[in-house]
Amino acid sequence: MKLFIVEDSRLARQELRTLLKAHADCEIIGEAANVEIALEGIETLQPDVLLLDIHLPGASGFELLDKLDYMPMVIFATAFDQHALQAFERNALDYLIKPIAPERLSQALERVRQRLRPSIAATAIAAPTVKKGADDTIFVREGEHCWFVRLGDVSGFAVMGNYAHVWFDGKQPLLSRSLGYLEERLDPTLFFRASRSHLINLKWVSSIQPAMSDGYLVTLRDGRTVEISRRQAKVLRETLEL
Amino acid sequence: MIANKRWIYQTVFWGGYMALSLLMLLQYLSKGSGIILIMVLVGLGLCVASEVLRALIIKQGWLNAPSWPLLGCMLLLVPLAAIIVQGGIFVILKTALTLNWVSMPGGNADYRFGSLFGYILNSAIMLWLWCGIWLSAYYLRRYRQAEIETWRAKAAQSKLELDVLKGQINPHFTFNALNNLRAMINEDTEKARLMVTQLSNILRYSLQYSQNDSVSLHDELAVVRDYIALEQLHYESCLNVDWQIKVNANQESSLTLPPMLLQLLVENAVKHGIAKRVGGGTISIVIIAENAHLKIAVSNPGNWQVTDTSTAISNSTGIGWNNLRERLARLGGSAASCEIETSDTLVTVTVTVPQSPK
Repeated sequence: MKLFIVEDSRLARQELRTLLKAHADCEIIGEAANVEIALEGIETLQPDVLLLDIHLPGASGFELLDKLDYMPMVIFATAFDQHALQAFERNALDYLIKPIAPERLSQALERVRQRLRPSIAATAIAAPTVKKGADDTIFVREGEHCWFVRLGDVSGFAVMGNYAHVWFDGKQPLLSRSLGYLEERLDPTLFFRASRSHLINLKWVSSIQPAMSDGYLVTLRDGRTVEISRRQAKVLRETLEL
Repeated sequence: MIANKRWIYQTVFWGGYMALSLLMLLQYLSKGSGIILIMVLVGLGLCVASEVLRALIIKQGWLNAPSWPLLGCMLLLVPLAAIIVQGGIFVILKTALTLNWVSMPGGNADYRFGSLFGYILNSAIMLWLWCGIWLSAYYLRRYRQAEIETWRAKAAQSKLELDVLKGQINPHFTFNALNNLRAMINEDTEKARLMVTQLSNILRYSLQYSQNDSVSLHDELAVVRDYIALEQLHYESCLNVDWQIKVNANQESSLTLPPMLLQLLVENAVKHGIAKRVGGGTISIVIIAENAHLKIAVSNPGNWQVTDTSTAISNSTGIGWNNLRERLARLGGSAASCEIETSDTLVTVTVTVPQSPK
């Protein structure tokens, strides 16, 4: 697996390299000491795993994740951050506390291997898609809470100015992306632009009813209802007829 | 006591007394309904009397004062209350008898002097008994509460001490240092050995001196140098320090300051001026002795978001600053001061510590 290290202390990076030597399948393809360099490196090199320190010069590790288009699996590393760790315990891939115990690192990497296996097989057969599909994750945070959300678990997106609400698990935190930006990058067979203000996950549709002026009223499995404009209703019919 | 609960106790006590008295006088009941009237009046009257006594004792604060007024109350007011209650019963009973509402065994009520004294004494004894139970319950509860308060205070005190200790050496610093040490062991054993010494110095210093009110500048400087050395291993070229110590070696030993004061200023400068900035910067530390004052100024690159100059310091860095301010106040009263200046590119915190004449 390909790893990218984001860590401001040279000695801490050195320590990670030393620890990773024990894992023959791990290849460190890049390192960065601050967010700017990390952003560029991750987008170009597209690592499988990101080893990320929370405290970084310029911006925090969370802010880095906010800005990333390409989202690798993330393992956090921090010296002492009860607060941040609490936010992540439930849905981070893993987090490590410095100084990192070798067996904890092994555990974290094992989790990565398990998650990686199916998708490596998939990419071997099918050509890699640029668009994000159901198994890709996005990073969302609101206040002190952070989530890595599988796109397959997102029922839809609702516009909010230049931002978008993400609908998942009964929550709707704000994502600093516009709906148009999301539409461009998400798999169009999965996410459908219902109207100017909504992008819905077609796998989450539970019923479609005719509505005023040749539009549709769609009910999603989480109970939310979304109107589909007349123009998009036509597109939807064509999509589904396929 | 909660009012509802008190009424239950009152009903049980006086109701019980009434019932018990009636039970003992059972054989006379058929001979005169006046007995029932008397016992009901005694029960109600004493119940009211006990409430009045209680309210009076609480209102006059006799529970807290030395027990003389309370003793006086017991000796004078309780018999007085008994007399009033029996007096009232006398009036009501006589009226009732005259109007033939009730009858008494033997035709008339026994109000010979000896009997009357017996009634009053009996009532007084019941009130004394009531007061005895109430007061012992009250004092027992108060004693327990005082004990709980003591424990609470002790717990709060140790929590504070713990917080102060926690505020002394930032755990983030300690664990980062240990992590860097792990790498350094492979890279340069001699440097790693030095790191262990420096880290031990800092930990020992914070454990040993944090309870003292003041330490010599010499000792504080030694630990701050160790601290900076470790931080420089973490931030490397991003952390530069410009030392401007304008006191001589003798002054270094004689000047005093609260322990961890300079360390806290430097830690804060690193946290805000170095750690968050790409490329880091230079921290300058100026130490001057003037007019029986020790003046320390630490500046770091950056700009402080000042909301209100007087509270800005306590806002962003929490316990460390509060702790420091408290120590400064204790050490030098109004003469000790802590000021913060901010320009577009530089934040300077200046602390003035008064020196007590030797």
